[in-house]
Amino acid sequence: MTVDKERLDRMIIAMRVARELPPGGYVNLGIGIPTLVSMFVADDSVVFYHSESGVLNCGPLAEDGNEDIDLINAGGQFLQPVPGMAYFSSVDAFAMIRGGHVDATVLGAHQVSATGDLANWMLPERGVGNIGGAMDLAAGADRVIVAMEHNDRQGNPKVVQECDFPLTGKGCVSLVVTDVAVLEPTPAGMVLREVAPGWTADEVQSVTGARLIIGDDVKEYEV
Amino acid sequence: MAAALSVGEITRRIVREARPGSVVAASGVWADRIRAALPGSLGVWALSDAGLMDGAPLSVADAAAIARGGYIDLAVIEAGQVDRNGSIAGAQSASGLSIPGNAVDLSSGAQRVVALLPNAGRDGVLNLAESLSLPADGVNCVDTVICDVGVINVAGGQFVLTETAPGWTAADLQAMAGVSLSVSPALRRIDLAAPSGDAVSKVYSDGVGAVADLPDGATVFIDGFGGPGGMAHYLLVALRDLGSRGLTIVSNTAGIARVVSFGTPPGRTAIDHSVLIENGQVAKAIASFPVSPSVSRPSEFELAYRRGEVELELVPQGTLAERLRAGGAGVLAFYTPTGAGTLISEGKESRTIDGREYILEYGLRADYAIIRAHRADERGNLVYRGTSRNFNAVMAPAARITVAEVDEIVAAGELNPEEIVTPGVFVQRIVKRPDGFSGYE
Amino acid sequence: MAFSKVYESAAAAVSDVRDGATLLIGGTASDDAPAELLAAVLAGGVRGLTGICDFARWDGADGLIELIRAGRVARLVSSNPFPGDDGGDVRRLWESGDLEIELVPQGTLAERLRAGGAGIGGVFVPVGIGTRFAQGKETKVINGTECVLESPLRADVALLRAAAADTMGNLTYRGVQRGWNHTMAASARLTIVQADRVEEAGNIDPELVITPGIFVNRVVQSVMIDGMGG
Repeated sequence: MTVDKERLDRMIIAMRVARELPPGGYVNLGIGIPTLVSMFVADDSVVFYHSESGVLNCGPLAEDGNEDIDLINAGGQFLQPVPGMAYFSSVDAFAMIRGGHVDATVLGAHQVSATGDLANWMLPERGVGNIGGAMDLAAGADRVIVAMEHNDRQGNPKVVQECDFPLTGKGCVSLVVTDVAVLEPTPAGMVLREVAPGWTADEVQSVTGARLIIGDDVKEYEV
Repeated sequence: MAAALSVGEITRRIVREARPGSVVAASGVWADRIRAALPGSLGVWALSDAGLMDGAPLSVADAAAIARGGYIDLAVIEAGQVDRNGSIAGAQSASGLSIPGNAVDLSSGAQRVVALLPNAGRDGVLNLAESLSLPADGVNCVDTVICDVGVINVAGGQFVLTETAPGWTAADLQAMAGVSLSVSPALRRIDLAAPSGDAVSKVYSDGVGAVADLPDGATVFIDGFGGPGGMAHYLLVALRDLGSRGLTIVSNTAGIARVVSFGTPPGRTAIDHSVLIENGQVAKAIASFPVSPSVSRPSEFELAYRRGEVELELVPQGTLAERLRAGGAGVLAFYTPTGAGTLISEGKESRTIDGREYILEYGLRADYAIIRAHRADERGNLVYRGTSRNFNAVMAPAARITVAEVDEIVAAGELNPEEIVTPGVFVQRIVKRPDGFSGYE
Repeated sequence: MAFSKVYESAAAAVSDVRDGATLLIGGTASDDAPAELLAAVLAGGVRGLTGICDFARWDGADGLIELIRAGRVARLVSSNPFPGDDGGDVRRLWESGDLEIELVPQGTLAERLRAGGAGIGGVFVPVGIGTRFAQGKETKVINGTECVLESPLRADVALLRAAAADTMGNLTYRGVQRGWNHTMAASARLTIVQADRVEEAGNIDPELVITPGIFVNRVVQSVMIDGMGG
C-alpha cells in the first residue's frame, strides 16, 4: 500500500530533531540530514558539537575562500574557527564517544528495527561499505537519534521489524524521526509517538515494516 | 673500611649505563638525579614518575604507556631486595611498608632493569637473596645491581660481581651478602667517568631516503583522516617512487579524497593512498572508511578490491584508534562495546561485563608509520595543526619506525614543552616537506 | 555566550558530594592538587568516602590527609598511600582497621582510570605478572606474553587542579600538574576543577587545550595561588 500524502522535507525533520538535543549537552551529528540539525537549535539553548575529526565546540562551516584543510568536520566540510574549540587525537575523540561523554548523536540509517537495532553502514548489494565512526557512536552515545526518510527511493520501509542489512549496533536507537512520523523503539516494539500533519496512525503503519504500537497519545508532529 | 660511594657517585655510575638517544626511567628521587647527571650530547630521554619526559609534561596514563609500550631502554628501580632470578622487591620505607609506586610498571616494561641498593656499604648489608622474602614488584627482570660498593650482574641464576668501589674487595661484598657471589674474571674498579657519544640525528634531507629501508610486505600506518589535511603527501610519493610492494596499509580511509574531494578545497584534487594502489604496491588495507561514499565514483582501492587484487579488514574508526593506542601503549588486548552483535564481532571473543556486551580487540602495531605533523624539533617532538592531529598522533607510538613529514624543523628546546603532542621518543625520522611541494595533483 | 561552567565557590561546586561517594583526587603535591576543593569537601561534612589517588599532599596540613585524619575516608585506592618513612596517620588508621587500602601499581592505576573514562571494559596488560598485584586475577597469554586482565575504574566525582580553565571547561596545566589531573578528568561522573586562572572561552589556544571541556562539569577559581595565600 502507498499513501499519496505530502511528506515533510528534510529541513522539517532537522527542526524536529533539534528539539531533542539536550541544552548544555554534547552532540555528534552524522552526515546528511543530521548535519542540518544545528541550524535549528534555539538561540537560547547552548549545544556543544563534537566531531570525530578531532574537534570540540565546533560551529558553523567556513565561508567560501576561507577553507583550511586542517580544520574539518567528520564529513570533510570546512569549519570556521570559533572561541572555545579544542583539538584532540582520534583516540581521544573516541574515548569521548565510547566513554559516555557524548550525550546524543544524530545519525542517518538504512534500516531501524522495532527494538532499536541500527543498520546504516552497508547496502548489501554494494558488498562493501564504510563504518567510520558509526559503530562507536551507536555503542557509546547516551542517546542515538535517527533522522531519515521513512521509505527508500523504491518505497521500501526503512522502519522494519528486524533489520536484514548488516547491523551497526543492537538495540541502540532511542528515537527515530522521519518525514512521516516520530517513533520510539522499545524492547516491546516500535511505539508511534507522532505523525506528520494530515497523516493517520494507520497510514503510517501502512508504509512501515515494523508492527507499530499505537497508543491513545499519538500526537501531531511538533516543530 | 673505605667509604661507600656517595649518591652523586652512584648516579654517575648509573648514567654510564645509558646509550646515546636511549630512554631512561627511574623511580622516585633518582629520576631527577639521573637527568641532571646525563651529558646533553648523549640525547638521552629521561622519564620521571611525575610524568615528565625530558622536561615536557605527560599525563600519568601516557607516561605509563611509554613504560608498558617497550619504549624504555633502561629502568632504574631502587630495590629492597633482589634474588638470583632477577626478581625485585621495590624499596621499602624505614618501617617496612611496601608500596608499588611505578616499580611494577618499570620492571615489566623496560628492556633493561638496573636495581639500586644505594645503602649496602653504609648499612653493611647487601640485600641479595636466593629467593625474595619481600613481596615481588617484578619477576625475572633485573639485569644489573648497582650498589654503593660495587656492580653485580644477574644472569643465569648467578650473581656475578663485575666492579667494586675503591677500597672494597670481592671478599668485603661477599661478607655483606647473604648469598654466594661469583666473581667475574674481569673484575675491575668501578668507573665513574661520564659516558660519551652522540645521539644519531633524526633529520633526513629527502623523502625517499627517509623510507629507503621499507621492505616489501611491510605493514605501514598511513594517516589522513580522509582529506589532504594531515596526510603525508611527500612521503606517500616517496614510498611510491621507492616501489615497495605487498604492503599492508593501516589507515582511516583507503584513499577517498581524490574521488570525492573530502576535505579538499574547491578545484583541487588531493594526492592520497591511490598513488600506491594504482602502482600495485598494496596487498591489504585495514581501514574504517575504505571506499568512496559515492557508489558512482569508486576509488582506486575499491576498483582493485573488486578485481580481487587487495584484501580488506574493516574496523570501526574508534576501534581502529583504540587498537593503535593499545599497540603503542603495551596493552595487548581490550574489551570494547563497539561492534558487539554486528558482523564485526564474528569470530571474536565476547563477554558480558556489568550487563553489557563487549568484544575483545587486539593491539595493532606496524613496521613503519608515515605521519604528517606541523612542526618538529630536532629531537622529534611534534606539534600538529587543528584537526590534522587525528590519527597521526595515535599512530606514532605504535610503529617500530615512525617517519614524520613536517612543515618546519626547529632546534631542540624551541617548542614549548606544554604544546608538544607527540614526544620525540615515538619519532625516529623527520623530513621537511620541500618548499613548493604540492599535495595536490 | 551565557553558558558557563564556572561556580562561584569551592563550597558551591562540591555541595552535592554525598556520603559514600568515590572521589578521584588529582595531583601529588601542594601545587598540583585541588586543596581548596578538598577543604570544601571536609567542611561539607561528608563521610564514608573512597579516595582514589597516587599520593596527595601528605606533608601539608591540607589536602586528602585532612579528610583521612578526620575519619571521613573509609577506603583508599593508591600506589603511594603511606606518607613519610613511618606511614603517619594513614598507617595508624589502616592498622586499626578504620581505613581500607587497595594498593595499585601507578601505571595500572592510570590505565584503569583511562579505561573507565574511555568506555573500555577491561585491558590485558603484561604488568605485575608473578607479583601480588596479579593474584586472583584472570590471565591470558597473548602472542606469547602473559597478561593480566585489569578492570576499568570510574568514580562519582573527580576533584582536579589546572593552571587555566575557560568557561567551557577546557583545561591547560603547568608542568607536572598534567600528570594525574588529566588522567582522571574523563573518569568521573562529575568532574570539578580548581583552576589557578579562569578565562573566557576563546582565550585558550585550541592547540594548547590538554583536557577538552567535554570531560569537565564545574570550574572554580583558586582563591589562594602558590604561596599568595594560606
